[in-house]
Amino acid sequence: MNVIVINDLVKIYDSNAMQVTAIDHVNLTIEDGEFTAIVGPSGSGKTTLLNLIGGLDTPNQGQIIVENVDITAMSPKQLIEFRLHNIGFVFQSYNLIPVLTAYENVAFIMELQRAPKPAIERRTKDILNEVGLGDRMNSRPNELSGGQQQRVAVARAMASKPKFIIADEPTANLDSKSTEKLLEMMETLNQREQITFLFSTHDQRVMNKAHRIIVLEDGKIVDDYRK
Amino acid sequence: MLIVSIAWKNVWRNRKRSLIVIIAVLLGTAAGVFTSGLMVGWVKQRTHSLVYTETGHIKIHHPDFLKNEELNLLVPHVTDLSAFLDQQPAVKASSERLKCMVMAATSRGTTGMTLQGVDPIEEMAVSDLHTHLIPNTGGYLDSKTPGSILISDRTAELLKIKTYVLTEEKRVQLNQNGVPTSVTDKLTDLDNVRYHTEKRYQRILSERLTAEEIRKYGSALTSEAIQYRLRSKIICTLNAMDGNLVSQSFKVGGIYKTTNAVFDLTTAYVLKSDLAQLTGLTINDCHEIGLILNDEEAMKPLQDAIRSHFPTVSVQNWLEISPEAGILSEYMDFFYYILMGFILFALAFGILNTMLMAVLERTKELGMLMAIGMSRKRIFTMIMLESIFLTLTGSIFGMGVGWVIITITGQTGLDFSVIGEGFEAMGWSAVIYPSITPDFFLGVTLLVVLTGLLASIIPARRALALIPVEALKTDN
Repeated sequence: MNVIVINDLVKIYDSNAMQVTAIDHVNLTIEDGEFTAIVGPSGSGKTTLLNLIGGLDTPNQGQIIVENVDITAMSPKQLIEFRLHNIGFVFQSYNLIPVLTAYENVAFIMELQRAPKPAIERRTKDILNEVGLGDRMNSRPNELSGGQQQRVAVARAMASKPKFIIADEPTANLDSKSTEKLLEMMETLNQREQITFLFSTHDQRVMNKAHRIIVLEDGKIVDDYRK
Repeated sequence: MLIVSIAWKNVWRNRKRSLIVIIAVLLGTAAGVFTSGLMVGWVKQRTHSLVYTETGHIKIHHPDFLKNEELNLLVPHVTDLSAFLDQQPAVKASSERLKCMVMAATSRGTTGMTLQGVDPIEEMAVSDLHTHLIPNTGGYLDSKTPGSILISDRTAELLKIKTYVLTEEKRVQLNQNGVPTSVTDKLTDLDNVRYHTEKRYQRILSERLTAEEIRKYGSALTSEAIQYRLRSKIICTLNAMDGNLVSQSFKVGGIYKTTNAVFDLTTAYVLKSDLAQLTGLTINDCHEIGLILNDEEAMKPLQDAIRSHFPTVSVQNWLEISPEAGILSEYMDFFYYILMGFILFALAFGILNTMLMAVLERTKELGMLMAIGMSRKRIFTMIMLESIFLTLTGSIFGMGVGWVIITITGQTGLDFSVIGEGFEAMGWSAVIYPSITPDFFLGVTLLVVLTGLLASIIPARRALALIPVEALKTDN
């Protein structure tokens, strides 16, 4: 089943009176449960494509259909609600809330979804145990290593039971050991919970783990293959 | 609930910055609360003194008496009126007074004043003047001692009944009260020399003492030297009912002092029977009936009842007699809130600045929150709550500090004697006992929340204007 269907997507930025085509007539389909890496050189449009798919940015042309819903036709308010219930985000620099503990950071998104308290408690604990941070639930981000913070970020993205998770260069700030651990964890979650992962990366280790590689260059898909 | 928790935790992200704002709000609120307490105490004392010393809750006169205080303008139907008042449960006490303008003279001074003829028992139930007697200066009027007059300290000074004299005994007393012998020894040649005005006595002191000694001990040396010539004779001259000038000598039986200089200078008391005899009126006549009620709320209904039964009398309550005090009392609440409003308005700029900094520093985080699905409404609420918490924390402590200061100074009083002459000339006490009501704190809390809300609007709008994808690219 297709989770994401992209039709003729175009994104043009106006920069210093010049028009830069960041995404150039892209057509793409992502299937349920895929573990896909979008790769390409800097400026190739990886982050722009992820932002468009995540509903953080709006295209100049084309459609993005998530499970039969055209998100390009949504208002900003509808998009916020849509992201809350359908998309998980993992950012390069973790972006956890510094005043909250690991537990609170994960529970936070479910509170936004107005999930019942017992369900929040159960799921938060389960996910944190799953990402190997069961013993660090009460630690604040500044008490955790980079790898641990990114695992909390993945747990937060998972907590809302999204249709897919977008991860923008999730290993860029991690050492090789942490990267290895994070990738293993993401792969396990992908296989166990059948959650679709879509990430941009430069990292060869991430590419090695990905089941599908989409190569972007100058905003166009130049290669797309499954391993 | 989570938004509340995050907002509270966000307040403490930058402890130093938040504490500076909180301390500023604390000091501003404490100052505002204390100033308001001072004003409340001041007005309360004035209205208390006005009602319980000077006017009573209600005064009844002949309709023309207040325009022209003539002896023949007596309260009509006084017997029936008294009987009616006795039946009113709202009336706690009443006093029937004769009032007459007189020229008072001693061998050394003269002054004009209003002589009030009262029944001591009745008057003590209506007016607390008997509690304003200066210690060791005689006593209140006594119906068994006719020919006695009760005058104020200020009248005593005008009539030169108040004198300043030092004696060996007084110098010893001053030494016991902390005035050094080196100071009192310089004044031995003043023993038993009588000065009739404070100015003259103080000039003599300044010739013998240094400026520093005057500053330190001048007040003690003056108050100890005061001596009233009790039983002095005051000749009161007035136009009697028959139009003839009549005079009578009264002996000073007591000296009082209130906080209202004008009242003190113009009012003296004698027995009603004495004044009736002097003026040619009867003991049953009266120019004024003063009433004290059990409950001030009953004032207007009672006025209406008196007017309907006795349409030929003038019935005024204290708010009508002294409208300036009435207006102050009525609108004082409004003034406190204006004062607090100004203080909080000024503080709002500090809070606004802090909140703007807080939003600016969290651009990336706010972008992330929007990205993961936190609605604009929730972001607005979070920032608004942070601002309210910041303001409310300082204000709660500020109100606490203000309350403590008011409680302490409410017991000890604050002496504004240095400028007190001016206050007392207007009828206001120079010693103020601040006080405050719990309602005021509730009002301030609402104002504080409003301030927090207003101060959060610009930062919250700034946060809401962020575009998640742009905000996520920033370094903050």
